[in-house]
Amino acid sequence: MRLTLKIWRQRSGDDVGGFESYELDGAGAEFTLLEALDKLNDTIVAGGGEPVAFDSDCREGVCGSCGVTVDGVPHGPVANTPSCRQHLRSFPDGGTVTLEPFRSAAYPVVKDLVVDRSALDRVIEAGGFVSIDAGTAPDADSHQASHETVEAALDFAACIGCGACVAACPNGSANLFTGSKLVHLSLLPTTQEERGKRAGAMIGAMEEEFGPCSVYGECVQVCPAGIPLAAIAGLNKEKLRAVLRGKDN
Amino acid sequence: MAVTGLIFAAFVLVHMIGNLKVYQGAEHFNAYAVWLRTLLEPLFPYEGVLWALRIVLIVCLVGHVGGAAMLVARARRARGPFRRRRLPMRSFLARTMPVTGVVLLLFVIFHLLDLTTGTRPAASASFEHGTVDTSHAYENLIASFQRPEVALFYILAMVVLGMHLAHGLWTATHDLGATSHRLRAIAVAVSGILAIAIMLGNISIPVAVLLGVVQ
Ligand code: HEM
Ligand code: SF4
Ligand code: FES
Repeated sequence: MRLTLKIWRQRSGDDVGGFESYELDGAGAEFTLLEALDKLNDTIVAGGGEPVAFDSDCREGVCGSCGVTVDGVPHGPVANTPSCRQHLRSFPDGGTVTLEPFRSAAYPVVKDLVVDRSALDRVIEAGGFVSIDAGTAPDADSHQASHETVEAALDFAACIGCGACVAACPNGSANLFTGSKLVHLSLLPTTQEERGKRAGAMIGAMEEEFGPCSVYGECVQVCPAGIPLAAIAGLNKEKLRAVLRGKDN
Repeated sequence: MAVTGLIFAAFVLVHMIGNLKVYQGAEHFNAYAVWLRTLLEPLFPYEGVLWALRIVLIVCLVGHVGGAAMLVARARRARGPFRRRRLPMRSFLARTMPVTGVVLLLFVIFHLLDLTTGTRPAASASFEHGTVDTSHAYENLIASFQRPEVALFYILAMVVLGMHLAHGLWTATHDLGATSHRLRAIAVAVSGILAIAIMLGNISIPVAVLLGVVQ
């Protein structure tokens, strides 16, 4: 199929950047978006040009590194699907597809479609970990947790840290991301000791760099891990609990 | 935002129920207005409870509007120069919260000038103040709504109130940390039903006056 790709080109963070149009010919409908970019880059490089920079690693929806904004929607037209799993069959043959980086003041552009998402890492660094010495793997029966609880924790642990929720949010809020981490960690037995401290620290770090939540619900439309809006209620529950108890655990 | 918003929601619900007394006739409605002023007398002075409620509402208004302004400013800063555009209808209510909020603020100002202070031209030409043991709330209300443009403004303002309430209650559900499936399903239903009930209950009054059902 034939597509016109309007791609955001920006040499560096200091550059202003702007869109440039490219013709992509002979790509299959079964190509993923990233494969289409690979093919385009082959042509650009063959012509002596600078290839379009974009992030990717696993290309199967687990690593969370590949997000770009496609026609204004983070990740692309298919809901809850990362950019690496978006296919050209979603676009009409002969049509135009606009590609730009994830947009948020917290994500400075590094180059072209690549953004620096370390603001998300700073939220994790503030408390998204367990600081007890876990030693070697404990006996499976030493930490009791019900099947339902563990399943729920796993559901919220599914977040791949892609950052699309922030780019989808008109407020640039990271509540879905932070909420998924907080709910996940609040459910497990080994993470209870720091529950209150963690909520305060992670939400504090989040509020420094990201916007507030107005429950637009745009984040859950793009989240490749299917994290539900309940994660945002969970974040506020952890915050209220921490404030009301005023204790570390 | 959640706490002040919920206090407003409780207020508009009670206020709507009070407004419906208009269907019981002038005597009932005016007696209700007098009762509001003499509530818990002699434990509290004349208009004591009313003023306590007014102060609570004023404090909530300042907190709510101030919080909203801070929220919008923080959101703009965090989003940066590239806004999200062409968003689908599903987030329409959320996106219009600042607009519906400002319209409600203007409505409240007009409404107080119209039916509480009786300041013309917001109030009708025949507006009359009550005394310690009489009220003209019913007559003032009818006279006000007999002006079609005012009645229409009240109707539109109540649609806007319904929109603001529906999303506001759903947001408050998140702010207060309702995570369970059951609770969230109940919250969706309660948000929608309350918003529609308050909207329709209030809208029925200017409509009834315009149709001449209530005179
Ligand atoms: C069509 C809908 C409404 C009608 C018919 C209505 C009617 C009235 C009337 C008759 C009064 C004067 C009562 C008295 O003199 O004792 C009043 C007072 C008031 N209303 Fe409404 N109202 C409506 C909607 C609203 C809404 C939506 C709000 C707020 C968002 C609101 C806020 C107030 C306030 C703050 C007062 C003054 C209370 C006070 O300080 O005495 N009203 N309303
Ligand atoms: S919550 Fe979803 S959209 Fe947000 S970072 Fe995690 S996986 Fe990505
Ligand atoms: S490249 Fe790993 S999730 Fe897309």
